[in-house]
Amino acid sequence: MLLALVTLYELLAQGVIDARVPAHRDWSAASRHIREHHRDGDLIVSAPAWTDPLLRRELGDLLPAAQAGRSDLAPFARVWEISARGRRAADLVAVREAREPDETSTFGALTVRRFDLGPSSVAFDLTSNLRDAQVRRGDRTCTWRRSTAQGGGLGTGPLTPAEHFFCGPEPWLWVGETVTEDLDLQPRHCIWQHPAGTEPITTTYRNVALPGRVVLHGGIYYLHERERIHGPVDVRVLVEGREVGRMRHEDGDGWRRMEADTGTGTGDVTIEVTAPDANMRTFCWAADLRGPAREVGE
Amino acid sequence: MRPRIGFLDHVLGALLGAAYVAVLLGTSGDLAMSRDESFYVTAAQDYAGWMRQLWNDPDAALTTESIDRGWDYNHEHPGLAKALFGLSWIAHENAKADGGDGLFARDSDAFRFPGMVCAGLLLWLLYIFGARVFGREAGAYAAVAYALMPRPFYHAHLDCFDIPITLVITFAVYAYWRALTSRAWVVVAGLAWGLALATKHNSWVLPGIFLVHYVWMTWAVRGRLRREEPVPARLITRPWWMISLAWLGPPLFVATWPWLWHPETMLERFGWYARFHLNHEYYTIAYLGRSWFEPPFPVSYPFVLTAFTVPLVTLVMAGLGLGMRLRAMLPRFVRQRVWKGGKVEPDAAHTDVLLVGCLLAPMLMIALPSSPIFGGTKHWFTAYPFLCLYTGLGLVRATGAFRHGLGAQLPGARWTARVVGATLAIAPMLVQTVRSHPFGLSHYTPLAGGVPGAADLGMNRQFWGFTTGSLTRYFAEQMPNGGSVYLCDTTPGAWEMLHRDGALPRNVRWSASLTNADFVMVHHEDHFAEVDFQAWVAFGSTKPAHVLTYDGVPIVTVYENPRRRR
Repeated sequence: MLLALVTLYELLAQGVIDARVPAHRDWSAASRHIREHHRDGDLIVSAPAWTDPLLRRELGDLLPAAQAGRSDLAPFARVWEISARGRRAADLVAVREAREPDETSTFGALTVRRFDLGPSSVAFDLTSNLRDAQVRRGDRTCTWRRSTAQGGGLGTGPLTPAEHFFCGPEPWLWVGETVTEDLDLQPRHCIWQHPAGTEPITTTYRNVALPGRVVLHGGIYYLHERERIHGPVDVRVLVEGREVGRMRHEDGDGWRRMEADTGTGTGDVTIEVTAPDANMRTFCWAADLRGPAREVGE
Repeated sequence: MRPRIGFLDHVLGALLGAAYVAVLLGTSGDLAMSRDESFYVTAAQDYAGWMRQLWNDPDAALTTESIDRGWDYNHEHPGLAKALFGLSWIAHENAKADGGDGLFARDSDAFRFPGMVCAGLLLWLLYIFGARVFGREAGAYAAVAYALMPRPFYHAHLDCFDIPITLVITFAVYAYWRALTSRAWVVVAGLAWGLALATKHNSWVLPGIFLVHYVWMTWAVRGRLRREEPVPARLITRPWWMISLAWLGPPLFVATWPWLWHPETMLERFGWYARFHLNHEYYTIAYLGRSWFEPPFPVSYPFVLTAFTVPLVTLVMAGLGLGMRLRAMLPRFVRQRVWKGGKVEPDAAHTDVLLVGCLLAPMLMIALPSSPIFGGTKHWFTAYPFLCLYTGLGLVRATGAFRHGLGAQLPGARWTARVVGATLAIAPMLVQTVRSHPFGLSHYTPLAGGVPGAADLGMNRQFWGFTTGSLTRYFAEQMPNGGSVYLCDTTPGAWEMLHRDGALPRNVRWSASLTNADFVMVHHEDHFAEVDFQAWVAFGSTKPAHVLTYDGVPIVTVYENPRRRR
């Protein structure tokens, strides 16, 4: 009897597991639906998290690195969630608690939900507009370079993008838009700004409109943060040369958030990075200028 | 009453083993070489070169320079297994030199064959060992249960040490057990431990296990003598085995490893080898949603992973078998006090204590918070033969109960009940093992929720980059005029073997540069995620060209360089 029960369980359970695996056609149908109704400013996520490559296989053209490596939901007006196995996306917890989905559809073993979050509070994305900024190491201006992307491989950290500011002379002293792996192994679309010790590396955006707040996230590449043996990184946000916010990032903080009031109007916004000891301080930040926070999804 | 094992039993064991080797040879082409295999191929070729030199010019081969040139590579592990891989390759090459296609269908099989033979021999040994301890039916079930464990089935294909060490440790235990009643086996026990030392460092703990068992047994014998109870005359209570292990083990270890042959450097080199394993570096591995890279490691690791990767029927039947023999594992004073009415008594050699010791010791070693856990289940494979012996015993009881109960209602009950009982026992093991191929290290049983359930739980999805073997057709189709691939966790040596095996066109090369490659592979292990992100930046898109899945779970993601479309 015991043998029969165990055998029956093992064979039936395998059948149930197989039946719950979404077929390729389910992914195609769900993706077709989203593609038909997609708008600029929409974010698409999938759950469980390990389905992410399947989501990007179907809809990767609608999911640039800035979205896949988001720090939060603030830039997005709507979020599409593709759910398999009854799982829900981790970064939609607060949204789900606050409201019901605005649309729910089923495609085989997949469920698609849409949440309308309302207009984004983000007025200017500093991360995606680096080309217009001025980067300096101390008093020296760092030069804009265009070559080919360099690096890659396990343990090598974020890729050096084809276009970046080079401060040098150390090869890691560049400032550019890349994607880092944070302490939780998550992608973070960010500006690599490795400190040069106590001599500040600064990135300045000239004459930008200030809607009231700056939100900055920052962290250190996974491999250099996980052992928690290195020193802190200091970040200051300045508006018109006046400090409006600062953050000290210590190993173990992960992808850390900082928010500061900027006041309104227009002005120069500077992100300054220093470290008492710059060894292995592979710091990357993502920041934007925002108006008042909306009710849900920030 | 234990059966007398004769020639026919060995024929049956050998047939079982040969059939398994045939299955392994028939399925090995689906598996690209793993990282470690590719290193051992290089070592095997070096050692083979030296062995050829030894055959042709012994004086030159035995110089310090020649030995170091031939045996220096991969001296992290002893030479025996790699020398066997090398000998197999020499035989394959010699057959080619005679104008044929070689002994094997693929070069990789030439290196892998000795490991497969070890797997076959292990089944043979398990049948004989099980038959002697618990009866023929239990022995047969034990061998089949081992053959149909998904993870060992994967490893049984490889030119690695994990199956060879499982064979020689099981053989050493068997020889030690026989040596308790036969003087001839005392010598075999020492030689067997020498072979184990010469195969892998797992063998270091074996004398400790034997010592614990020996103390237990002699203590029990003294008690019997004190109580004037009979002790079988053939039971050898003097520690001859210890002398045999000490006298034969280390010399055989050194004799099979020329790297240690220079008297001036022998101790220094042995010290390096021992320190390498005692202070082994930690590699990152995912377990229950966390990437572990430094101690303390979770104590639960070997037990949970065993539960998640061994078919449930194997585990439950092992539990039944262990339960049946539990009383025999208890000291006499405990039996007398808490289990007075029981009928199961230990044999004079206290075989159950030995078997359970060999089952628990490897798992407890890995459960130590300081033990590296990056090798997944393979680091406690040496426990599984002993688990399977109890699975065999449990299955004998369970299928027997079936035959006398439900099975007795079947038409032609005498035979049909036996067949149905065996089918019930073996079917889930077979289903899991068949389903696991060619994704052995990615496979999880229904207890974990299968492959998707394990992904939900944050379990490791693979290591060693062997799943590249499932993408060869894709790459060949995508690059009919040749091109390059960034290999991620696959080694250039493993890629080269795909060329040698004819699995991949020569003009589909590997690229050391991620940014310049035509295609980039990302083998999904949690901490490899950075390679995904690097590909996004390099190619300006997060959209993969292809995702290799297993039961719906991504195993390898492939990105295409956009310059190919320009």
